[in-house]
Amino acid sequence: MDGATAPPAAMLAKLPAARWWRGMPGTVLGLIGACVIAALAPGQGYYLNIIMQAVTYAIGVAGLVVVLGYCGQISLTQAGFLGIGAYVLALLTTQLGVPFLAATLAAMLICGLFGLLLGFASLRLGGHYLAMVTISFQVILTLVLTNWVGLSGGPDGVSGIPRPAGFASAHAYLGLCLVLLVLVMFYAWRLKLSRLGRAMQAVRDNEIAAGTCGIHVFRTKVVAFGISAMLGGLGGALFAGAFSYVSPDQFTFDESVVMLTMALLGGVRSPFGALLGTFALVILPEWLRFLKQAYLAVYGGAVILIMIFVPEGVWGWAAQRFGRGARPIGEWPVPPLPLLSMRGENSGENALEVADLAMHFGGVKALDGVSFAVRRGSVHALIGPNGSGKTTFLNVISGLYRATSGTVRLGGTTLDRLPPHERTRRGMTRTYQNIRVFRGLSVLENVMIGAERPGNDVHKPADVMARALAALDFVGLRREASQPVGSLPYGHQRYVEIARALAGSPEVLLLDEPAAGLNSTEKQELGLLLRRLKGHGLTILVIEHDMKLIEAVADHITVLNFGKCIANSTPREVLRHPDVIAAYLGEPQPA
Amino acid sequence: MLAILPQLLYTGVGIGAVYAIASLGFVLLIRAADVVNFAQGQFSMLGAYIMLVLLVGVGVPYWAAFLLAVVLMAGFGVLFAGAVYWPLRHRSQLTVIISTIGASILLPNAVLAIYGPSPATVPGLFASQGFRLGSVFVDSQYLSIIVIAILMVVLQYVVFEKTLLGKKLQATSQDKEMAAMLGISVAGMVLFTFAYSAALGALAGVLVAPVLFVSVGMGATLALKAFAANIIGGYGSIPGAILGGLIIGLAETLGAAYISTPYKDAFGFVILLIVLLARPRGLFGELIAEKA
Amino acid sequence: MTGINRRAMLLGTAAALAAPAIIARAAETIRIGVVSPETGAAAESGQYMRNGINLALDAINEKGGVLGRKLEIVVADDQTTNPGAVLAFSRLASDHSIVAFIGSIRSTQVQAMAPGVLKTAKPMMIGGTDPKLTHQGNRWLFRCRPNDTYSAKTIAAYGVQTLGRKKIAMIASTDAFGTGGREALTSELKALGITPALTLGYANQQADFTPEVLQIRSANPDLITSYFTYETDLGVFAKQLRQLGVRTTWLGSPSIVDTAALELAGPALYGTYGVADYAVNASPTSKAYAAAYEKRFGKVPDNQSSWAYDATNVLAIALANAKSTAPEAIRTAILGIQGYKGAEGTYDFDQNGDGLHGYSVVQNQNGKINFIKYVEFPKPS
Repeated sequence: MDGATAPPAAMLAKLPAARWWRGMPGTVLGLIGACVIAALAPGQGYYLNIIMQAVTYAIGVAGLVVVLGYCGQISLTQAGFLGIGAYVLALLTTQLGVPFLAATLAAMLICGLFGLLLGFASLRLGGHYLAMVTISFQVILTLVLTNWVGLSGGPDGVSGIPRPAGFASAHAYLGLCLVLLVLVMFYAWRLKLSRLGRAMQAVRDNEIAAGTCGIHVFRTKVVAFGISAMLGGLGGALFAGAFSYVSPDQFTFDESVVMLTMALLGGVRSPFGALLGTFALVILPEWLRFLKQAYLAVYGGAVILIMIFVPEGVWGWAAQRFGRGARPIGEWPVPPLPLLSMRGENSGENALEVADLAMHFGGVKALDGVSFAVRRGSVHALIGPNGSGKTTFLNVISGLYRATSGTVRLGGTTLDRLPPHERTRRGMTRTYQNIRVFRGLSVLENVMIGAERPGNDVHKPADVMARALAALDFVGLRREASQPVGSLPYGHQRYVEIARALAGSPEVLLLDEPAAGLNSTEKQELGLLLRRLKGHGLTILVIEHDMKLIEAVADHITVLNFGKCIANSTPREVLRHPDVIAAYLGEPQPA
Repeated sequence: MLAILPQLLYTGVGIGAVYAIASLGFVLLIRAADVVNFAQGQFSMLGAYIMLVLLVGVGVPYWAAFLLAVVLMAGFGVLFAGAVYWPLRHRSQLTVIISTIGASILLPNAVLAIYGPSPATVPGLFASQGFRLGSVFVDSQYLSIIVIAILMVVLQYVVFEKTLLGKKLQATSQDKEMAAMLGISVAGMVLFTFAYSAALGALAGVLVAPVLFVSVGMGATLALKAFAANIIGGYGSIPGAILGGLIIGLAETLGAAYISTPYKDAFGFVILLIVLLARPRGLFGELIAEKA
Repeated sequence: MTGINRRAMLLGTAAALAAPAIIARAAETIRIGVVSPETGAAAESGQYMRNGINLALDAINEKGGVLGRKLEIVVADDQTTNPGAVLAFSRLASDHSIVAFIGSIRSTQVQAMAPGVLKTAKPMMIGGTDPKLTHQGNRWLFRCRPNDTYSAKTIAAYGVQTLGRKKIAMIASTDAFGTGGREALTSELKALGITPALTLGYANQQADFTPEVLQIRSANPDLITSYFTYETDLGVFAKQLRQLGVRTTWLGSPSIVDTAALELAGPALYGTYGVADYAVNASPTSKAYAAAYEKRFGKVPDNQSSWAYDATNVLAIALANAKSTAPEAIRTAILGIQGYKGAEGTYDFDQNGDGLHGYSVVQNQNGKINFIKYVEFPKPS
C-alpha cells in the first residue's frame, strides 16, 4: 500500500461515472425546457389539465422507479401516497391556513412516515409481502377517506385548495410543477448511480449476495420505500394544488395499478422510462378515442401487446436499440489492490475460529459440532463428500443461517448473533457455488458494490471506483468493466464475484466451490489466480471438490463428513488419513 | 343482536364460499405458472355473461347453459394463456402481471362494447328462493354455492393427490425443469391449469350471478377479495384459499353487523394485515418459498 | 382482480373525450357539450341520458332549431369518475364554439366539475340532486331535477304525516349522493321531531346486504327509507330484505323506481313507495314524453332520461328567449323561465338555479309505477 501511486484523479475524472457534475448540464437544459413548456402551454382547459395531471403523476411514478425499478419491491399503493399527500396539503392549506410550501413538506414527511411504517411491517420478509400489505393499506385508506367525514370531508372531498403565493396562474404553477419534475428526474437518475442506488439494485438482483456484500438489506428496502412514498406525497401535493379539488375516488387501488402500469410500460428501471410511460398512457387512450365505446378494450389490448413486444418497457427497448452501448474504460493505472491480511504474514495467529458449531434442520444434523481454526495468511481448504455440510458451514459462518449452537470468531470478535452484513463489515467476504452476481448491473458496478463494503478503507466515489478497477485488473477483466455482467461467459462471471469479494479488502475470503462449472482451461486459470492470492498472503477459506486445485494451493485441509470434522491437518497427512479415504471411497467423487 | 348470529354465520359462509371458489382458480395459477392473474375476476364476469347469453339469447336449457358456460370458459382459459401468458413465459413475473392487468381492462370493456351496460338477472339453481330453518333463512343459492365449494375441494383433493394428472401438475408446480426431465409436458400442464382456473372462475361467476346480478363490474367486486383470501390462507396454498375465503366472508358479514357497515370491505383486509404481521406465511404456510 | 374495468385509467379519461374534430359547420349549428358516463359503473345511465337529449334535440331541430340554427351535441365520456369528469369537461370547455353544457346526473361528478364550470363561465344543466351544488355560489349550474332537500322533505312529509310512521330506519350509500340525501333527510325528520331509529351507510358495489337487513330487522322500524346509488345494490338489498322476512313499508329515493332496478329486483320491490322526480302519470307532459320515448326506444323512460330531455328543452327555450348565445344572456333567460311544463314537472327557476321544487310520490304495484301525489314546496325567494 505504501508503494501505491497517488490516485490519478485527473484520469479518473474522464470516467463519466466519476464526475460530480454528472447529469447537471442535462438538468439545466431540462429546467430551461420546463420554463419554455410552461410559458407556451395553454393557460386553461383540457390540454392544461392533461399536462398538469401527467406532470404530477410522473413525480409519483418516479417513486415507483425507486422502490420497484431500483429495489425490486412491488408497491401497490402509490396512488394511496399521492392521496395522503394531496389530502395533507388540502387540509393543511384550507383548514389551518398553512402556507403551500410548508404544507407540501408536511405532505412529503407524513407520506415518508407512512412509508417507513408500512416498510417496517412488511419488508423484513422478501418477495410479495410488500405487495400484499400495500393492497390492504390502499383499500383501507380509500374507505377511511370516504367515511371519516370529520377529517377528510367524506366523498365530497376538499375543494378550494390554494396555490402557492406567486404561482396562482396556470403558467406559473405548471412551471413550478415542471421544474420540480425535472429535479425529481435528476435526483432519481443520480440516485441510481449513487452508493445507495447501487445497494438498492443489489438488493433487487440478489438479496442474499447483497447481504454478504455488507448491505443492510432491510434498511435499504425501507429507505427505498420511504423515498418512494415521499415522492408520491410530493406528486399528490402538487396534484391537489393543480386541480384545487381532491376526493377519495381519485386515489383508489385502480389508480395505483394504473401507476404501476405506467412505470412498467415506460421502463421501470429508469426515471425517464417512467416519465415516458406516464405521458404515453395519457396519450394512448386519447389517441384511441375515435373508437368510441370500444376504446378502453383496445387500450387494454394495447397494454398486453406492448408487454409482449417490448417487455423491458418502451425506454428499456429504446435504450437497447438506440443506446450508445457500453463504452470501454481506458487503460490508465490505478493503485494496486491492497490485500489487508498481508499485514498478518502467515503469523500463526488465528483469523477465523469455529468452535462446536452445530446446525440442525429439524431432525437432520447438517453440522454436528465442527471446530477448527483458519490461520491468518493461510489458504485453508474445506473438503468432504456431497452432503457433508460444507456449504451449510459456509452459510452459517457468513450469517445466512443461524447456528443451532456453537461459536464463530473473526479476528477475536464473536459473530454468533450478527446478520450477514454485520459479519461482512467485520471483514468477511464470500463467493457462491451458484454464482450470485447482480445481473442488472455492469461488471464495474458489481465490483464497486464489493468495494463499498462498510469497514473498507475507501470512501470517496473516485477511490471506490479505483479500487474496483484494481480488483478487475487483478482478475483480468478490466476491459469488460462496462459490460452488463449477464453478457459475460460463466467463468468470467465467477471472476467478477471473486473481484467483488476482493475489492472489499477482506480479512478472510470465503470461496464456495470456485471451480464448479468451469472447464479445464478455466480451472487452470483459477488455480493461477488462487496462487497469486496466496502469494499476497490473503487469508482464504475455500470449499472445493477439485483435489488437484486443493493440493496446489492449500496450506491446511479440514474434512467434513455427515456434519462432523473427521480430519484437520496438512494436505499430505489428510489425504493419507484412513477415515478420509473411506469417506471418499464410500461415495464416489463427482466430476 | 345475538339473535341474528346464526343468519350472519350462514350468509358469511355462503359469501365466503364464493370468494373461496374464485380464490381457488387464483391459487392454481400461482402454483402452476407463478402467475398472479389480475384478470381472474373477469373470468367470473365472462362466465356469467356467457351463461346469460346462452340462457336468454339462445334459449338453451338452464343446466346446459350453466355447464356450457363453465366448459366454454375452460376453452377461453387456453386462449387467454396463449395470448396473455405464453409469449411472456420466460419474462419476469411483473411483465406477466402487467399483461394480465391489460386483460382485466380489455375483457370488461369488450363486454361493455358488445353487450351494453345494463345489468341483468339470471335465475338461481333452484326455483325456490330458499327455506326457513329455525331463525335462519337458508337461501337456496348460497346453499348450492356452499355445497359446490365443498365438492370442488374434494375434487381438487382427489385430482391432485390421487391421479397421475394431479401428480404431474404438482411436479410441474414444484420444479418445472425437473418435471420436463421426467417427460412431463410442462406446456400441457400449464395450459391445463389455465383452462381449469378459468373454469373455476366461471363457476364462481355463474353461481354468484343470481345473487349479485350479471354486470360488467362484477368481476372486480370478486377478484380483490379472492386475492386477499389467498394471502390470508397462505400464498399458493389450496386449503388456505378455501379457509381464507371463508374468513373474509365471515369477517365482512360479522364486522358489518356488529361494528360498522361503511367499513365492511375493510374487515377482510384488516384481518389480512393482522395475519401477515402475526403469521407472515399465512395460516397454511406458503408453498412457494424463496430458495436460499 | 382490479376494478379497472370501470375506471381503466385515470389519465385515460382523456380518452373518454369523444369529441369529433371541429367541423366546418360549426358556425351553422349551436353546439352543446354533454358530459355523460359512457363507460364505468354508471354507463347505463349515460345511455338513457343521451336518449333523452336526442329525443328533445330531434324534435327541436325538426321544427327548424333555435335562432334559425340547428342544435348539435358533443359528447364526452366521464367514465363515471371524478377525474374523468374533470378532464371530460375541460376538453369540452376548450372548444369555444360550445355555448352551454349538460352535465351529469351524479352529484359527485358535478361537484368535481363545478370549479371548471365556474371558470369557464357558461351555463351547465345538471341532474345531480345534492342540494349543495346550487347553493355554494356557483352561478352557472342549473338543475333540471328537484334537489334532495325536496326529496328528503317529500319522504319526511309523506312518511311521517301521510303514512303516520314514527320509527324510521335509513340506509344510504356513503358516496356524495347518498351522504347528501342522508343528511338532508335527517334534518327534515328532525324538523318533524323524529330521530331515525337506525342509520346505515354502505360502500357502493356490495355483494351482500345481509348484515344491513338484519340490523334493520332487529331495529324493527315502521318505515324504511333509502338513498341507493346503483341499481345492483338496490336489487341485492331488496331481495335479501324480502328473503329475511322484512315486510316493513319502504319509501325510497328515486332510484327505487328506475327501470333497471325494477327489472333486477322484480317482485322484491312490489308495494314499495318511492319519491320520483319523473313519474309517467304525473302530468300530461310526462305522459306524452313516456309515449314518445317508448315509441323510439321500446322502453318505459325514467328520470335518467327525462331530466336530460327537459334540460335540452330548457336550454333551447332559453336560447330562443335570449336571442343570443352569449353566456350571460342565456343565464338570464334560464332564470326567467317560469311555469314551463316539462316531463319532470313545472319549471320555476329560482335564483340558485333550481328549476323544480317538488317530488311525486309513487308506488310500485306489481311492477307498475302508480302515481299517488305530487308534493310541491314553495320556491325559495
